[in-house]
Amino acid sequence: MICWFLSVIAITFSINFINFLVNKNNTVFYAVLVLLFVFIGMEIYDIYKISEPIGAAFYYLYNHPYLVLLPLLLLATLYSILFKYIKNGFYLDDAVSKKIKEVNATDLSWMNRFGSVAPFIKNDVKLIWRNARPKQVMFMSFIFLFYGLMFYTQDVYKQMPALLAFASMFITGGFLMTFGQLVPSWDSEYYKMLMSQNIPYKTYLESKWYLMVFAVGLSFILSTPYIYFGWDIFGMIAAGALFNIGLNSFLTLFGGALNRVPIELNVKAKAFSNTNGFNPTQLLIGLPKFLLPMGLFYIPYKLINFNAGLIVLALSGVLGIVFRNYIFKKIEEVYQKGKYKTIAAYSEKN
Amino acid sequence: MITTSNLSKKYNDTTVLNIENLEIPKGQSFGLVGNNGAGKTTYFSLLLDLIQPTTGHIENNGVLVHESEDWKPFTSSFIDESFLIGYLTAEEYFYFIGELRGQNKSDVDGLLSQFADFFHDEILNKKKYLRDLSKGNQKKAGIVAALIGNPEVIILDEPFANLDPTTQIRLKQIIKDLAETKGVTVLISSHDLLHVTDVCERIVVLEKGEVVKDLATSTATLKELEAHFSGMAEV
Repeated sequence: MICWFLSVIAITFSINFINFLVNKNNTVFYAVLVLLFVFIGMEIYDIYKISEPIGAAFYYLYNHPYLVLLPLLLLATLYSILFKYIKNGFYLDDAVSKKIKEVNATDLSWMNRFGSVAPFIKNDVKLIWRNARPKQVMFMSFIFLFYGLMFYTQDVYKQMPALLAFASMFITGGFLMTFGQLVPSWDSEYYKMLMSQNIPYKTYLESKWYLMVFAVGLSFILSTPYIYFGWDIFGMIAAGALFNIGLNSFLTLFGGALNRVPIELNVKAKAFSNTNGFNPTQLLIGLPKFLLPMGLFYIPYKLINFNAGLIVLALSGVLGIVFRNYIFKKIEEVYQKGKYKTIAAYSEKN
Repeated sequence: MITTSNLSKKYNDTTVLNIENLEIPKGQSFGLVGNNGAGKTTYFSLLLDLIQPTTGHIENNGVLVHESEDWKPFTSSFIDESFLIGYLTAEEYFYFIGELRGQNKSDVDGLLSQFADFFHDEILNKKKYLRDLSKGNQKKAGIVAALIGNPEVIILDEPFANLDPTTQIRLKQIIKDLAETKGVTVLISSHDLLHVTDVCERIVVLEKGEVVKDLATSTATLKELEAHFSGMAEV
């Protein structure tokens, strides 16, 4: 009995140490995350129930008291790993001395065909590629693609099409939500320069918009396997994508004007303290992003039928695209108005 | 070229800058000196419309800087490292600025080739991001980027700080050249009295936000400035 008790305590401590590692090291975090997803997935689909062998193992542990050594050994190993890890990070000059990476220059001149927005798009691609934080966001936005699996597989949600519309919007909107909501904070480190350079605000905003449109398009192509769940579902994803391009993107850019949190580009956000760049204003601006697609779909769905819901949701996006010059002008005014405040907020940290 | 009238900037109730009238003609090399907090950077920030004036205005070539953006095409500046894009190499940064200012790659290359001396082989083809360069080399890149696209007004805040002596001497030559032969209006600020008197035709001393001296540079200027600032040290 005591052995069993000791084993459980050792395992609990081990989990605690794993938590430490997860929070310090993103590789470990993603490894754990992927493992978790795989096992949960297999559990749900009855492919392989990991809980059974684990249950058996615990039972075995209970019946063979001497096996308490195993969890104790695990605990000791984790402890020594963590100890070394923390000790290594203890000296200031290691933390301060920068790792200088050699650049492998990428030729992006083929992007010049995008005209006046080309210089910015080229820059943004480099921004994402060469900095830790945006890269991380990029990865997160990829995970959004699997959002549908959570909803389409549950029978409960089949009765709640508004929620399905919401989920469908998320599938193609990952990049838009994660990257887009932090425009223009991505450029906070050199915002003063952008503001004193010969740049029309509109071109700057347009380039970000193209980037988001491209991301939505790409996610839409990648989402084609969802046809498996039926054409209704895929129609929803398509309508959601249009909504994202034509309306959500503008809402996001508009929200960015009110977001004045500087970002340190080359510093990774910790897995559990990903709060940098988030504030109540963001949340408030975020609400219509979630509620609009649900409402746009649900009201015509209730009044007429399913297809009407799809059409209205898709049309809202098309309208946004048609009137985009007007919308850009409005957003530009908001950005222009907040210019001094934004500059002041960004230079505080730099 | 640049007319400042009734300009003031207050933070809460503290006045950090108050210039009644200051006229900088085209092609002048203009130096701004003063101790920390005298208002040099504030003035330059107002000139670039990075902060809002409390009263008054600045006209740059007839354009009111806080109302229109039309001054941007002919004005360029390097204030601090926040004017650099850290994740680009120096070349990429120059080409990016070039694109913003309507210069193609070969225009930029042509300009850069004139500054091989100034770069001293420490900037180009280094395969390093700007954020990984030393402060001095970052400054060199920033200054040269400010020269791209034939600007008529160039604003440099503390251009001599962090540079090694050889580079300082080369920079002085570059600035003189711009004002004398190309008719560019150059505005610089500095703590270094010797450098400013070497380079600028005209020197304005700021003290607590006010213009206290406005001198046309002559052989006596350095002495006068030194007397002024050592006088302040005794008070």
